[in-house]
Amino acid sequence: MDFLHKGNPIMRLRKLFQVILLAAAAAAAGTILPAAAADVTLLNVSYDPTRELYKEFNAAFARHWKEKTGQSLSIQQSHGGSSKQARAVIDGLEADVVTLALAYDIDAIAERSQLLPRNWQGRLPNDSSPYTSTIIFLVRKGNPKKIKDWEDLARPGISVITPNPKTSGVARWNYMAAWGYALKKWGGDEVRAREFINRLFKNVPVLDSGARGATTTFVERGIGDVLINWENEVLLCAREMGRDRFDIVVPPTSILCEPVVSVVDKVAKRHRTLEVARAYLEYLYSEEGQHIEAKHYYRPRLASAAEKYKDQFPTVELFTLSDVAGDWHKANAAHFADGGVFDQIYQPGR
Amino acid sequence: MRRPGVLAAGLVGIALAGGPLGSIHPAVAQQTQPTAQTQTEERKMDDLEQRVKILERLREIEEEKAAEKAKETVTVSAGKDGFTVQSSGGNFILRLRGLLQFDGSFFQGDEANAATDTFQVNSARPMVEATAYKIYEFKIVPDFGQGKTVLQDVTLDARFHPAAKVRAGKFKTPFGLERLQSETDLMFVSRALTTNLVPNRDLGIMVYGEILDGVLAYAGGVFNGVPDGSSGDADINDGKDAAARVFARPFRKTSLPGLQGLGIGLGVTHGINRGKPTATGLASYKTAGQQTFFSYLADSSPTALNTVVADGRRYRLSPQLYYYVGRFGLMGERVRASQDVQIEVEDPAGTFTMHEETIRNESWQVSASFFLTRDDASYKPAAPRKNFLPSEGTAGGIEITARYGRLSVDRGAFPVYADPAKSAREATEKAAGVNWYLNRIVKVTLDYSRTSFEGGAASGGDRPDEKVLQSRFQIAF
Repeated sequence: MDFLHKGNPIMRLRKLFQVILLAAAAAAAGTILPAAAADVTLLNVSYDPTRELYKEFNAAFARHWKEKTGQSLSIQQSHGGSSKQARAVIDGLEADVVTLALAYDIDAIAERSQLLPRNWQGRLPNDSSPYTSTIIFLVRKGNPKKIKDWEDLARPGISVITPNPKTSGVARWNYMAAWGYALKKWGGDEVRAREFINRLFKNVPVLDSGARGATTTFVERGIGDVLINWENEVLLCAREMGRDRFDIVVPPTSILCEPVVSVVDKVAKRHRTLEVARAYLEYLYSEEGQHIEAKHYYRPRLASAAEKYKDQFPTVELFTLSDVAGDWHKANAAHFADGGVFDQIYQPGR
Repeated sequence: MRRPGVLAAGLVGIALAGGPLGSIHPAVAQQTQPTAQTQTEERKMDDLEQRVKILERLREIEEEKAAEKAKETVTVSAGKDGFTVQSSGGNFILRLRGLLQFDGSFFQGDEANAATDTFQVNSARPMVEATAYKIYEFKIVPDFGQGKTVLQDVTLDARFHPAAKVRAGKFKTPFGLERLQSETDLMFVSRALTTNLVPNRDLGIMVYGEILDGVLAYAGGVFNGVPDGSSGDADINDGKDAAARVFARPFRKTSLPGLQGLGIGLGVTHGINRGKPTATGLASYKTAGQQTFFSYLADSSPTALNTVVADGRRYRLSPQLYYYVGRFGLMGERVRASQDVQIEVEDPAGTFTMHEETIRNESWQVSASFFLTRDDASYKPAAPRKNFLPSEGTAGGIEITARYGRLSVDRGAFPVYADPAKSAREATEKAAGVNWYLNRIVKVTLDYSRTSFEGGAASGGDRPDEKVLQSRFQIAF
């Protein structure tokens, strides 16, 4: 403004000196006064059924982080079918961390968007899988259709509820569990296994996008005779909805499911949340984290938590994905990619 | 003896009833043991019930998918307001609009060929507007008219509340009523004489808004400062201008239809303006035909001598009003503009003398319009009720206009600061015209303006009248 260019030189120098003094005082105040604790926000993009788990886990981690660093933390959650969530992150959803149903979905994020390195899985213990689960069945009270094993799901007249393998992580686990059962039953005969899968999916009337949607279809809409789902989801359903409405059926064999987690490096760096994001995922492996997971019916890795909660997990003979399909890339190419086995065999039941 | 009779009747009743479970019980027995047919029917009912539930659930899932898809859907539209690309939810909007004005000016009685009859592209403006989060707006308007490339407007707006908005960039100074009217909505091809004293587009920052549900509008800001009637892209001195305007429509929300269209306002600018010989900070004044009838003295060589420069306080005040009722419209404003000026002259004896003065110029104008068709006059005319469609016998909107205005230069400007043989001390304009609104985006204007002068010719005479017929073909979307 004009005043700095008018007036005598002494007055102008005095005004300039005042400005410099004020600026110096402000700078000094900034260094002397402690910086107020800054709020940090994390976005965890997760698969469908983990709402209850992360509600409790997030509160616990926020307390832990506050005690450790003095920093207030706010954690936002997004839930949906695992593959759908991965696509959302690829398309720009700003996730600081992803906690998804299968490694293939996080591989897709790494390959298509380069938001995290391709060797992400080796960064955390157990190939970045802090807990495991398996696939079991939920049936109507009294099990009127006498469902005991995978073979019963393919019987005529049985209505099976499972989510869409194109969008849901658990649906892929369900499919591979059924496929693995069939391979084992028929000595690796893929033709017979495919025929079994065909009969099973003929009995599927509705394909929800994720695990929680399938639970809604079965439990709240009253559709279907059996729900195939995560062990944690089935056990939670039975507890929440009452054992007087449903029965749990544990097949003799099922697949070992290993949900995985990762920091989304580029997003976390941009948000300056890299340190807290890493700590958040590492806390899933901590004593408190493992006990919270077990409490919510996820099979913990930590021996002490596994021992404490062992009675709530049924005994199942578990096979791994590598036993029946090698890895998710091979499984995806054969079964879930466009034109794969699933596209060839799926038709809505009834 | 009644008891034996009652007993007998009871026994008969029981016998008729078939004993304790007699003839009643076969029916009851049928109800407690469902037949195969009943079971089949029950299974069919269950089956139907399941099918209905499945169909309902499938519909729910489809609706969820549609809702998810709708969140990502981008809408592209084209219409009378231009071309628009909008994200789902409307958080991001990109709009492309445009303005094209093709003018003609034909001077009558111009035997000396002082003015040239010409067609010209007065304005060719593509307009790009972008809105983010429904609050922040960016606009850029270049203009390729008259053979030049000019950045007319570049604005950044933050609209936090209808009563509290901030604008920064290059835009019209909040002052003159007719100047603030959009180029597309003018009554005449050229603005009135008053607009010569009013700042056009300037760079600055402004807060503005409307309160009391649009009854009162305000705007105030700090700008570089531009000479009368001019636009600027950079300041010529450190001094800045403050500008403010309030405009009220006091009867807007009342149930008095005859007064709802009345608006009154006041604009003011104040600042410091100092020029130099190469950029004097002063303006010339032009007629409707864009002929200069007043200018300050300026030496042809860029020296400090014999060139009038702005030298200090610049102040403008403008009371203004408009009134629209039905097909009739009226607009009027008065502008007082004062500017401290200075000139250094050398007399034949070689003596240098510095002259300083405050030049106070005044102007006023009244414009009136009337729609021959059943359309409403307005400061921002809407689309005609019926578009021009010969097949349906509809004419669009037809509006006749008239204007009277005057600009008076401070007598103190002569002869030290302006040459009385070249610059008129007063100009008076009378104009009449017609506007034809073919539809929302196409408009044709034809008007005739006659401006007479006092002074501005050699030997103290009056400059010849300017008589000009002007036309405009306009497309705006």
